[in-house]
Amino acid sequence: MTIPTRRASEMPASLAHELRNALACIQQFGNILVDGLAGELSAEQREYLGIMLENASKIRKAVDSAQDGTSRPLEEPTNKIERVSKLEN
Amino acid sequence: MDKTKILVVDDNPTIRKGLSVRLRASGYEVLFAEDAISATAALVTERPDLVILDLGLPCGDGFVVMERLQKNDRLSSIPVIVLTGREVAGNRERALQAGAAAFFQKPVEDRNLLFAIQKALDVSRGELRFDQ
Repeated sequence: MTIPTRRASEMPASLAHELRNALACIQQFGNILVDGLAGELSAEQREYLGIMLENASKIRKAVDSAQDGTSRPLEEPTNKIERVSKLEN
Repeated sequence: MDKTKILVVDDNPTIRKGLSVRLRASGYEVLFAEDAISATAALVTERPDLVILDLGLPCGDGFVVMERLQKNDRLSSIPVIVLTGREVAGNRERALQAGAAAFFQKPVEDRNLLFAIQKALDVSRGELRFDQ
């Protein structure tokens, strides 16, 4: 699948927001199934679920590209916490 | 020993349901709020150990919730992880400046969210510190 690179103005923020929420739901429940939190899956079910999640990731990449005009990694958490030695009182 | 209590604030019921399944499977107790007013009320009455906060909420957005949290001495130490469908540009820096421990744009990988939750809890319990 070829993901077109677009400018941010080509996708309204409201549309991107809706797509991200829908993708979050697909990914959340897909992973819940993959991880067996709702019961065991057959090998065939796992395969189909994997295909579904892979394609959800492609849609996410397309949304990222359309919003940013760039191709960035799937996950870009921003976390300002750094491990240090245990603080003393 | 009491379970660690996480307040999930999101107006999307499917997102709330998905997060609850994942967080409960990881051993957390999960509470919910679907707007800024009920989130503020839950913060006071339940005093959760951590908040997962959406930015786009009815009755005031996530920034309003963080502002109320920061102004309350009893609650200001509760770590907040922002999980939003909004754009990173503008919102990430604003959220971190408002006191968020981490910012994620939806959809988030479960392992990354769970890792950030654990780190934020460690910080609030004095085992880690924020890198300012």
